[in-house]
Amino acid sequence: MIGAEAGQDGGADLRCGRRMAVRRGGTAMTAALILAGQVYLWAGAAVAALFLTWGIGRVEPHARGSYLFRPLLVPGCVLIWPLVLWRWRALEQGRDAGCARHRPPRVAQVRIGVALAVLVPLILGLGLVIRQDGPRERPPALLEAAQ
Amino acid sequence: MSVRYVPVQWNRIKWVYDGLLVAGVLAYLVAFLQIGAGMADATRPVDGAILRMRAFGSCAFFLLTVILCIGPLARLDRRFLPLLYNRRHFGVVTFAVALTHAAYVLGWYFAYAPTPPVAALLSSNTSYGTALGFPFEALGAFALVVLALLAATSHDFWLSFLTAPVWKALHLMIYPAYAALVAHVALGYLQDVDNPAFAILFGGGALAVAGLHAAAALEGRREARSAGTWVAVCAPGEIADKRARIVRLPDGDRAAVFRNGARVSAISNACAHQNGPLGEGRIVFGCVTCPWHGYQYRMEDGCSPPPFTEKVPTYNLRLRDGVIEIDARANAPGTPVPPLDVAGMI
Ligand code: FES
Repeated sequence: MIGAEAGQDGGADLRCGRRMAVRRGGTAMTAALILAGQVYLWAGAAVAALFLTWGIGRVEPHARGSYLFRPLLVPGCVLIWPLVLWRWRALEQGRDAGCARHRPPRVAQVRIGVALAVLVPLILGLGLVIRQDGPRERPPALLEAAQ
Repeated sequence: MSVRYVPVQWNRIKWVYDGLLVAGVLAYLVAFLQIGAGMADATRPVDGAILRMRAFGSCAFFLLTVILCIGPLARLDRRFLPLLYNRRHFGVVTFAVALTHAAYVLGWYFAYAPTPPVAALLSSNTSYGTALGFPFEALGAFALVVLALLAATSHDFWLSFLTAPVWKALHLMIYPAYAALVAHVALGYLQDVDNPAFAILFGGGALAVAGLHAAAALEGRREARSAGTWVAVCAPGEIADKRARIVRLPDGDRAAVFRNGARVSAISNACAHQNGPLGEGRIVFGCVTCPWHGYQYRMEDGCSPPPFTEKVPTYNLRLRDGVIEIDARANAPGTPVPPLDVAGMI
């Protein structure tokens, strides 16, 4: 009996240990994710500095001589700097498809809209199905007779 | 029309729009805080910080719900078009409200965490395998990142620099973000809330977005689908003078066929500024004028009159048995096309 109890305790310890290990793994992954995010944003800051002081005037005629609006572009440059580099290169090399500029992706938009129309009721249903009614929502019951 | 970029383009209508928007947000927040404080459950004290967090969070949800309703509403009924014109300011305000919500969450729940608050938020619950107790915070974080991305790329410059297809594709991320936001609320606050009014408003808003998108998709399918290179438009007399008929081409693009007296020309329906619907505008002083912000284009070559430099694609037209037909292959922006002479047919 004692052994069995000891065994149970050991199992609990093991489970607890495993949970701790999983949590440590999760923390390590989060830390790695955050580091990757920081590196990405710093790279974006470098691209923003270069593009907004030098590149923008070379590839966008309407931006020449206009400086006030450039600080507004900093967050965008920092967030989507790979796209900025890609477009910068395409424009420098004169590989700009004129007609494509006017083609909104309507077909994709409709499909995504339909997917959303299906997904939203499913999510709402899931949220309601798993919802647990706590004791707060039951009428109060007298557990002990008044003395 | 802009020759140079400016920080923010405001006009009287935008000032009114933005004023109403900010007033609406403030009114919602005040009402939520007042009513919420009154209804707080005495057995589970919801203090000021949590109430503010919920006020901003639910406000961001409803703002995004309205934003996503505007598109299909305008497609279904043109009277909603004015709401569409300034939707980007709406998006930026939504991001600011959502960011405030996130700041309250981090500052309240994770202020004393041994790791940085964002790390604590993402690692405090990793039960991604279960629906009940799912780390709904991560869903909210994803939606916030998308809102940041869209707000940061909302300036006109980005539309022009990235080109409309890339910019639009980027901004389509609003849909997964909304789905994530619905899940964020459904798996988070909805599990805890006692007040059915919130659940009804939340469910009603989300279902309105879903229903309107389904309705707009059905409406789109009903629109005549034409095939082949030359697409029939209509008889010249069916186009009102100085107005246009919008045609949907087989590849999904739209062209606007304008009539100016006895001359008919076709240009892209998408304005070079922000893709406004040129076909809903009219000809003013001989130029097609965009109904959104007034950019102008000559109908015979799709170019803005000097000193402006915007250009849109043009289309070739022909007459067959008294019906105008359009060549579905667009010409490069700014290509001159002699107008079709329809004298005697109108
Ligand atoms: S979209 Fe702004 S003028 Fe056409």
